[in-house]
Amino acid sequence: MTVTVSPVFLLNSATGQAEAAELWDAITETQLADYEGEWLPEQFKAVQRLKRAGVERKHWPQSRHWDWRRKTAALQGMLANPGFSVVCGDLTQGMMLVDTTMKRARIDSQKGKNLVYVSFVENAPWNRKELLFDPPRYRGVGSVLMRAAVELSKHEDFKGRIGLHSLPQSNSFYANTCGMTDLGPDQDYQGLRYFEMTPEQAEAFIAKGGRT
Amino acid sequence: MNTGKKTMTLNLTEAEMSVLEDLCAKKDLSKTSLLRQALRLYQLVESRLESGGKLFFEDDKTKEKAEVMIL
Repeated sequence: MTVTVSPVFLLNSATGQAEAAELWDAITETQLADYEGEWLPEQFKAVQRLKRAGVERKHWPQSRHWDWRRKTAALQGMLANPGFSVVCGDLTQGMMLVDTTMKRARIDSQKGKNLVYVSFVENAPWNRKELLFDPPRYRGVGSVLMRAAVELSKHEDFKGRIGLHSLPQSNSFYANTCGMTDLGPDQDYQGLRYFEMTPEQAEAFIAKGGRT
Repeated sequence: MNTGKKTMTLNLTEAEMSVLEDLCAKKDLSKTSLLRQALRLYQLVESRLESGGKLFFEDDKTKEKAEVMIL
């Protein structure tokens, strides 16, 4: 598999400085080893911290059940489902799987047009404030991955249109940082809120560089 | 994203080209983008069928399902 690596930057919370990182247009064995050897142990400890801090189970991250190796294996070789990852400090900081074929836009002005649907996107546990990593090690991972989805959408002639169902802890990120339209809870998708980005919103998101 | 591409010549009948152009206009896609979409979809359907799946269309209002016969 040929992997294209693009330079990006993340904000290192410890130094307050931008740090050089890489956007890979794939999820490789390197990422899956990081997931199993680094993400999962940190995630277990984080869930334990949440429990001990008295946080109700319904507020624990719902992505804790995701199995990236299984997801990646199920979509291996499928042209419709490319993956992306962000690498910084020799570790995978985020991963994303998208669907370029099966979903269509729902916003009235774009209804029925093709878009890039973000099936799964996740930050490394140590970058997530809701897992009580405060401050998170790196900031900007989610924005880099959303930007990758927008660029893929433009590359596919979809004009920057993207869509996704958001886990509750990420609603604000998609609405405010990404500037996506909130189309409300989707009863056909576990009641998760559905967000969509129009071509105009995609341009605005690119122009502001992922800042809040 | 991986942008290494190869070029091919495609021979279509007038009717096929007409359908391609109509779909491109309807979907606001270039011919290349539309054919790449078609290839992905074909691969997806083949993959699901090979693993024992069936392809259905469901009427959004009536929820009636109709199986698509793939020969």
